[in-house]
Amino acid sequence: MSIEDWRRKIDEIDSKLVELFNERSKCAIEIGKIKHDLRLRVYDPQREREILQRIKGVNHGPLDDEGLQRLFERVIDECRRIERLEREKKD
Amino acid sequence: MIVVMQEGAAEEQIQSVIDRLIQMGFDVHRSTGSSHTVLGAVGGVPVDHRDIELLEGVREVVKISASYKLASRAFNPGGTVVKIGPPGRQLEVGGRAVVMMAGPCTVESEEQVTAIADIMNDCGIRILRGGAFKPRTSPYSFQGMGEEGLRFLRKAADRHHLLVVSEIMNHTQIPMFLDYVDILQVGARNMQNFDLLKELAKVRHPVLLKRGASATIEEWLLSAEYIMTGGNHDVMLCERGIRTFENYTRNTLDISAIPVIKKLSHLPILVDPSHGTGRRDKVPPMARAAVAAGADGLLIEVHHSPETALCDGAQSLYPTQFRELMSQLNIIAPAVQRTMV
Repeated sequence: MSIEDWRRKIDEIDSKLVELFNERSKCAIEIGKIKHDLRLRVYDPQREREILQRIKGVNHGPLDDEGLQRLFERVIDECRRIERLEREKKD
Repeated sequence: MIVVMQEGAAEEQIQSVIDRLIQMGFDVHRSTGSSHTVLGAVGGVPVDHRDIELLEGVREVVKISASYKLASRAFNPGGTVVKIGPPGRQLEVGGRAVVMMAGPCTVESEEQVTAIADIMNDCGIRILRGGAFKPRTSPYSFQGMGEEGLRFLRKAADRHHLLVVSEIMNHTQIPMFLDYVDILQVGARNMQNFDLLKELAKVRHPVLLKRGASATIEEWLLSAEYIMTGGNHDVMLCERGIRTFENYTRNTLDISAIPVIKKLSHLPILVDPSHGTGRRDKVPPMARAAVAAGADGLLIEVHHSPETALCDGAQSLYPTQFRELMSQLNIIAPAVQRTMV
């Protein structure tokens, strides 16, 4: 495959990732609403640890665990933010 | 801000810092490194970064945004031009022209200030300086003529349609000063007189804010912020020398403050080489350096008879020296795309 072919493939994957990230965010928003009703805090370090442990368990490379962790830390950061915004809307 | 955790900080310590930052209203971006974990905290309200630095497991905190907002360059990237004086004969500070404000350190008598105003007018100066209320180090030194001095200063200036700048000492004097001066000067000693700054924030009159002798640039800009938060955005800064270990000159004139202020703030920056050096022979070289470094104006003391001056005679230029300086500045200014007024 040429560079253009690979780039096209990356573009397709990115589109899927955008869809998946948004799916994930919707879940976080729903969790945010429940946490709000139960008066639970947005930041749940125990759960964040579990997520990072779990993704390492299903990682078959070529990304190493540290790189994967940093990528998911970004995803978690943004989901935490959107959860907070959702809470503020309800308050 | 960026929070760098110590090498090998415990997970509980990291979590507790994240927790604290979130409580403070920040969104936290965590990046776990092989030795250090770095937390980026965005949004939130300004906090005392020491509160975070002292948490367990934190190595250091790096502030990203300045503690001043209205005085920062980002607030007005094009730079602020302060208009001085009544409509019809307004003068701009912060534009292309470098504005000279000159005159005696202190108004000593009607004859003295009139004589100096005549000389200033001959030199083409448009803003007359002169102190009527003097913050003197010693209580035994001449304290100024008070309101009578302001009246003489205004009268002498009006003969030639000059504008007037004079130092205000406390907030109770504001109504009186508004009757006489075009620029309210806050002296170095009053840079952190917050009651005065808060009251100056309420008026709509240009303020010249001198740098305290021991003030950092951030403290200086925060003092400007005090004036600006009340809606008075016509603030000009004036570097007048800082206290260092060197005692040959009265103060060490911080020429580097000019480009630093230009980068950090949109406010015009002037320089007072008279107080900056305290010696007449050192005033012209530093005035030339200030214009070359990009100053928007100068504040210089001139006396027709410095030997008999009641205040700071040693740092006052003779009229002939002042004329020579002006002719030199008229050569330097165009080299940095400016003109002299």
